[in-house]
Amino acid sequence: MNLMVVGINHKTAPVEIRERFSFAAKRIVEVNRLLKESASLEENLILSTCNRVEIYAVANHSKDHAGDIENFLGSFHNLDISDYKNKFYVYRDKEAIEHLFKVAAGLDSMVIGEMEILGQVKRAYQEARESRTTGKILNKLFENALNTAKKIRTDTGITRGAISVSSVAVRLARKILGQLRDKKVLIIGTGKVGEGLVLYLKKEGIESVIVTNRTLEKAQDLAARFAATAIPFEDFRGRMAETDIIITSTGAPHSIIRKDEVLSLMPLRKQRPLFIIDLAVPRDVEADVNKIDNVYLYDIDDLQKTVDETKVFRENELDSCYKIVGTSSEKFINWLASERSRNGE
Amino acid sequence: MTNHSPYFTVHIITIYLSYIAFFAASVAAALYLIQDNFLKNKQTGIIFNRLPGLFFLDKLNYGAIGSGFPILTLSIISGFIWAKHIRGACWSYDHREIYSIALWLIYVLILHVRLSAKMRGRKVAQLSLLAFCIIIFSLFSSCR
Repeated sequence: MNLMVVGINHKTAPVEIRERFSFAAKRIVEVNRLLKESASLEENLILSTCNRVEIYAVANHSKDHAGDIENFLGSFHNLDISDYKNKFYVYRDKEAIEHLFKVAAGLDSMVIGEMEILGQVKRAYQEARESRTTGKILNKLFENALNTAKKIRTDTGITRGAISVSSVAVRLARKILGQLRDKKVLIIGTGKVGEGLVLYLKKEGIESVIVTNRTLEKAQDLAARFAATAIPFEDFRGRMAETDIIITSTGAPHSIIRKDEVLSLMPLRKQRPLFIIDLAVPRDVEADVNKIDNVYLYDIDDLQKTVDETKVFRENELDSCYKIVGTSSEKFINWLASERSRNGE
Repeated sequence: MTNHSPYFTVHIITIYLSYIAFFAASVAAALYLIQDNFLKNKQTGIIFNRLPGLFFLDKLNYGAIGSGFPILTLSIISGFIWAKHIRGACWSYDHREIYSIALWLIYVLILHVRLSAKMRGRKVAQLSLLAFCIIIFSLFSSCR
């Protein structure tokens, strides 16, 4: 028996190509069955996410099934597979095992160490089991992959730190303000990054969000999307005293929040901590505001710097992750060899 | 009345209890200052991530002082009563008495600025550490 993976991912193909080969989640069970029949496979499993489409398969030695799998992908999606041959990779045995272990642990992801992939691999495995297209080998392989991924997460620092500007900001907010649920947010300006950040804060359970913009309609638009309150631009200063997090992203050519203004605000706030996130370029908040006690000012570069530090930290953790992958895959290869010899291969 | 006096026992027990509370407060204050420094200087690395957040440390500091202060007050009162019985006077300008009153006053100040919202965070943490220095000095002076 031959263990292999045929796939396309974010490293080999851009999203315009990957999306042509992806499978709708609700059809995976059915497609697994079709693939098994069409490519005469003993076992198969489809992993289809926004960054990869991979088919894990076990076939007998008589012929090369990788071509059959690629042909199936082409015919299923009505694409001429010969146009995409160079976008696909094929890994066999040891390479295939190591590849899956890396994928499940997020080591092959666009953002190293991201957590979502483990759930996606788990789901793909459950769907394949539901299709009854997996057997002894893929079941064992995927259970090992999930366990290895969990071990990597607990034994290394691969998932440590925040990996987007929004997640950095939320982590900082929690460190400064504690629980965010009852905190109040004021957004000045309606930039894209600011919007993403509000979405993130909403997920944290923040309910009170006030939006303001020079064009009130834009503020109302954004407010409607986030169940927030829109207020005229002239009124935002009056709301600063009650706010815990201020996010600014206006296109103003000069500072709109000055140090003396924040300084006079603090007694009204009873010195409660204030977290200001300035996403604008040029910056909306005077840099000296950060010198005021209990006020913490972060601009877009400060947040990005933390993201970059996390990336470097995670890359440095890769070696210890690969060691765990090596040990686990070695164990699986030995098990596979004993299975093969038992079957007289 | 001697060292077997109940006032002496209360005095000793409460003084140590209050020191435990103030020790917790000063650990929280020291960690607060470290975290505050990290946040102000945008150093959000591993140590920053491992240490508790400012909100928690500030609450811990305030809570520990809030519980240590009445115990310290009780300790000082029982000390005065005990001194009155032993020496016939509550106050004898003994260095330990001066340290105790200084300590009590600084905690009054901390609770006042904190309750009246005049100060919070870093300055309160600095005052807590100053108060703890007085405890250390008073312990050293008692050992001599």
